[in-house]
Amino acid sequence: MLTEGVGLADLVCDDEREFRIHTRLYNDPEVYAAEMRAIFETTWVYVAHTTEIPHPGDYKTTTVGRQPVVISRHEDGQVYVLLNRCRHRGAAVCRMESGHSNFFRCPYHNWVYRNDGELVGMSQASGYPDDFDKESFGLVRAPRVGIYRGLIFVSLSKEGRSLEEHLAPARRYIDLWSDRSPVGEIEIVPPPHKYPYPGNWKWQAENGADGYHGNYVHQSWQKVLERAGEAPVKEIKRYREAGAAIGLEYGHGLLERPGGLNPASSWTGRMMQTFPDYADALRTNFSEEAIEAISARRNIFIFPNVYLFDTHIRTIRPVSVDNTEVFLYVYALKGVPDLLNQSRYRAHERFYGPSGFGSPDDIEIFVSCQTGVNATGVEWVMLNRGQHRERIENGARIGHSTDESPTRAIYREWKRLMKRGVAGSAAQEMRGALA
Amino acid sequence: MHSLRDDQVEVRLPTTEEACQLLYFEARLLDERRYEEWLELFTDDAYYWLPMHTDGETSDPRSHISIIYDDAERRAERVYRTLHTPVLDQSPPSRTVHFVSNVEVEPATVEGAARVWCVQLIAEMRPGGPSQAGLGEPRWFAGRCEYRLRYDGEAWKMALKKLALLDSDRPLYNLTFLL
Ligand code: FES
Ligand SMILES: [Fe+2]
Repeated sequence: MLTEGVGLADLVCDDEREFRIHTRLYNDPEVYAAEMRAIFETTWVYVAHTTEIPHPGDYKTTTVGRQPVVISRHEDGQVYVLLNRCRHRGAAVCRMESGHSNFFRCPYHNWVYRNDGELVGMSQASGYPDDFDKESFGLVRAPRVGIYRGLIFVSLSKEGRSLEEHLAPARRYIDLWSDRSPVGEIEIVPPPHKYPYPGNWKWQAENGADGYHGNYVHQSWQKVLERAGEAPVKEIKRYREAGAAIGLEYGHGLLERPGGLNPASSWTGRMMQTFPDYADALRTNFSEEAIEAISARRNIFIFPNVYLFDTHIRTIRPVSVDNTEVFLYVYALKGVPDLLNQSRYRAHERFYGPSGFGSPDDIEIFVSCQTGVNATGVEWVMLNRGQHRERIENGARIGHSTDESPTRAIYREWKRLMKRGVAGSAAQEMRGALA
Repeated sequence: MHSLRDDQVEVRLPTTEEACQLLYFEARLLDERRYEEWLELFTDDAYYWLPMHTDGETSDPRSHISIIYDDAERRAERVYRTLHTPVLDQSPPSRTVHFVSNVEVEPATVEGAARVWCVQLIAEMRPGGPSQAGLGEPRWFAGRCEYRLRYDGEAWKMALKKLALLDSDRPLYNLTFLL
């Protein structure tokens, strides 16, 4: 029998040569429930991009762990994250995925809240005594909301690292990712692509920075590229060996492919050649060296639920131990020609989403993994690839592009949070907020 | 034979029967996975388009993404990928049954083509071994279609196939068969 705290943390074995994790991480509802409390309802979780709620009154709904939330922009311009639960008898006050409203009106008995959560009033108020304390019956606010380069994060716990500290190991990469726009900004272009899969959320968390599977799972994609005259399969396979897989502190990580300004081998190079305006704008704002750094292609994972990709921001929403929903929020690069963004949308559709030439092959694997780990005769999943050859630089563990360094980073943070347990996690904090 | 003038060009309108014949034939080609023959049903400038809903409208491909927005080249690529490359997501391949109904031929032309509306219901299943999640479960997809048809002197061709799925903005699992 597992108990939260030490027992759970032992499911990740941080061995120097045989890093491994227990199968129960993927299929045990008890482990899943603990993850929701000790990870998703405790640490910083990505919920939205500021351009999804640009104006006062704009809102978006999602979940943080098991908690339904509304992310809203108040008239003071501030972003609030509120539990989407009426303080009367529990109805969700906001039922749309996104929209615009300065007030949330509960559909059940018509209690009305402002979009910063404050309870404006109850219908037929004479049913409550004059001294009914409205102030303490607002929608519950998440204790901490933070924004970095438009990325909105929430923590349902008052304690723990600041967002600045949490993002510090990945900050340089977030900046490089943003600076592919000459003005350093992106804009979400709704609606997102969405796909569900009958499998654990961590299959997707691991896969986005996994450089080992490409030559096998994406053979079909490589053939498509070859047919299109873009590159012979052999060359693609060689490129897939280049770059690095990097595990960062605090659970973050990335897969990095070489960039450069050569139009034949680099997207940035190609775009700069095709759209001289883009090249000019980049050169006006950045040094040649900086552009070179920006041009590398990176899949950046921010623990525990978001990936920054070249065409989209990918969020991972656990639904149950063996069900997950993934949203791909395509974005426009600001300050670039429309046609450049259009070509990015078409490139995105080609590989990603439910009908893309890449994503569905990955998803097929997640499901395959979920099926396979039902075999309990084997207890451990091995994540030791490249452990003997990764090098450590300022806390970052840099591996060959096919190594499992980013995946190990995820589970080190997983282990830390599980060890910390639910002390100071959402359920407690939220109650604390009401006390 | 009905005809209308559109931009100084004599444009022929199909009869409902002609339209149905083409749509039924297309459905059968898809269900029999005769994808290469299916490609031949399109004009060179045609789009095969599965938009996504946004604010009650279907998304504009110039400023948004779609589930599929295939020109001739991308369609050919899609068929090539599905039939001739080691795809995981189509192995085992999907079986489909396409239902076509509510066919209406609009009594006017748009951009030199006749506009035909219909609804489609597509049943899909991939056979699979026991305990293989995601396999062996029939799934249903409903959508409203807009076709634009042009007569090339010999046959009716599709200048557009737009299928707006009922749940285009909901999470969709494996749409790698042709809808
Ligand atoms: S449950 Fe919201 S007003 Fe009654
Ligand atoms: Fe992949």
